Amino acid sequence: MRVTIDLDKCIMAGECVYNHPWLYEFNDENQASVKVALLTTDDQKLAARQSREVCPSGAIQLHDN
Amino acid sequence: MGALANEIDPREFDSPGYQKDPFPLYKRLRDHHPLFRDRFHNRWLISRYDDVNAAFQDNESFDRALYKVDGPYEFGSSHVFGPNILEYGNSDRHRWLRNIIAGQFVGQGLVSFIPFIEKIAGELLEDCMGDGEVELVSRFSNQFPIRVISNILGLPRADEERFVGWYQALIAGLGFGGEHLARGIAARNEMWKYLEPIIEERLRNPGEDLLSKIAVAELDGQRMSMDEVKGFIALLLAAGGDTTDKAIANMWYHMLYTRPDQFEDVKKDPSLWENVFAEMMRYDAVVHVQSRYTTREVVMHNRVIPERSLVILLLGSGNRDERVFANPDTFDIHRTDMHMGRENRSARYKDKLPGHLGFGVGQHFCMGYAMARQEAVIACTRMMEVMKNPRPKFATHEGISSPNIDSGGFRSPQELWIEFDG
Ligand code: HEM
Ligand code: SF4
Repeated sequence: MRVTIDLDKCIMAGECVYNHPWLYEFNDENQASVKVALLTTDDQKLAARQSREVCPSGAIQLHDN
Repeated sequence: MGALANEIDPREFDSPGYQKDPFPLYKRLRDHHPLFRDRFHNRWLISRYDDVNAAFQDNESFDRALYKVDGPYEFGSSHVFGPNILEYGNSDRHRWLRNIIAGQFVGQGLVSFIPFIEKIAGELLEDCMGDGEVELVSRFSNQFPIRVISNILGLPRADEERFVGWYQALIAGLGFGGEHLARGIAARNEMWKYLEPIIEERLRNPGEDLLSKIAVAELDGQRMSMDEVKGFIALLLAAGGDTTDKAIANMWYHMLYTRPDQFEDVKKDPSLWENVFAEMMRYDAVVHVQSRYTTREVVMHNRVIPERSLVILLLGSGNRDERVFANPDTFDIHRTDMHMGRENRSARYKDKLPGHLGFGVGQHFCMGYAMARQEAVIACTRMMEVMKNPRPKFATHEGISSPNIDSGGFRSPQELWIEFDG
């Protein structure tokens, strides 16, 4: 599974960064970004789904490949 | 003036003058003692916007709970609310507890509450709008958020009065110690006894109400314990009731007395209540103070704060920092140097403007930020629809004040009389 952030939608709420710091960060341009390219374990995938739930702007997208 | 003029006697923090108007002292702190060691109360104070904001975000150095060297957090039966997420500091358990419920208060969860908010606002207004005048605090704002919460939780409407009573005892127990604390804890225990069978019933037969959702929510295959559910409900009453109630009163106070000129703008364009909310949260946020404990030595302004020290983050002062906001002591709903829209946990905004600190920032950023704004704006908008030509009943007002710093300093007017045409 891969995770991407739609930066047009992202309002920089930071919920993803606070809840799953291993997966998200604010990068040097102060944009939310994904730190892990490919999620492989069930735990990782579950966390990714949770992060999509907590994002208030619907900016987080999950891709199955 | 010599250097002594800028010395601060910590007993000033306990003076009636400070409770009434803390802002001159905040300014002296920011200008001359950005890191102030208060030996009298054994604590440190930080007061500039950038320092407060940074401390909120620095989980490595600051923790909300007093951590124990040799293990988990002190866990407080002495707390009025019982076990609740505030006491889990920065631990994984905190993250878990927050995540299991935080989603209920934003997005779709929030949208599903709006009909309740509208309904309660309508009922209360109908009840108190007959006479051409109203005392806003006791007749409306004190009642509104707690009734909204009780409805959202799906408690029987017949029990609402009891619930409001427990709530008032809980709140009184927060700040004033002694007898009030004992009564607060007694009310909490009574409320818990009342809630227990209801929670058990919802566990067996979950509905669409928030209490069911909290009780059955699972994260990583785990549910909250019964005590955690009850502790969360108690916290919800205080964190979500008392604060929003005072926010509504503060918004009206500043429109009626501080900026009647800008009130005219709001009357023409009620969507400006959103701006009134944001500027109220900056200029005179209900909550001025949050505390943290250092988890290691922290160097700040060339001094060392030792490990395990109590540090007070004066967000009420950061909000008035002239280093960040122009004319910080002017209430201005048309401010262009602050982010006026919904708040973000990260304190970062796409418009690159700084936000107010009134909801905190970071790990413990207010979970009800979107709901509080929604409730306050709906309440104020509805009031304007019902009251024609609202105006202060009395030409002068004693102003907003707060209990002392140790009780959280929730600021609001005691009373607010509004007159209007039938
Ligand atoms: C205008 C009204 C409100 C104000 C001024 C306010 C203020 C705050 C502040 C300053 C904090 C940060 C505490 C810290 O940094 O340690 C906080 C946390 C919290 N607030 Fe609010 N709040 C308001 C409304 C609400 C509402 C409506 C709810 C419930 C739906 C709520 C629930 C919470 C909770 C659960 C926390 C703890 C979060 C955590 O520790 O992770 N608040 N609030
Ligand atoms: S939670 Fe959503 S809106 Fe917030 S920073 Fe992450 S992606 Fe952006």
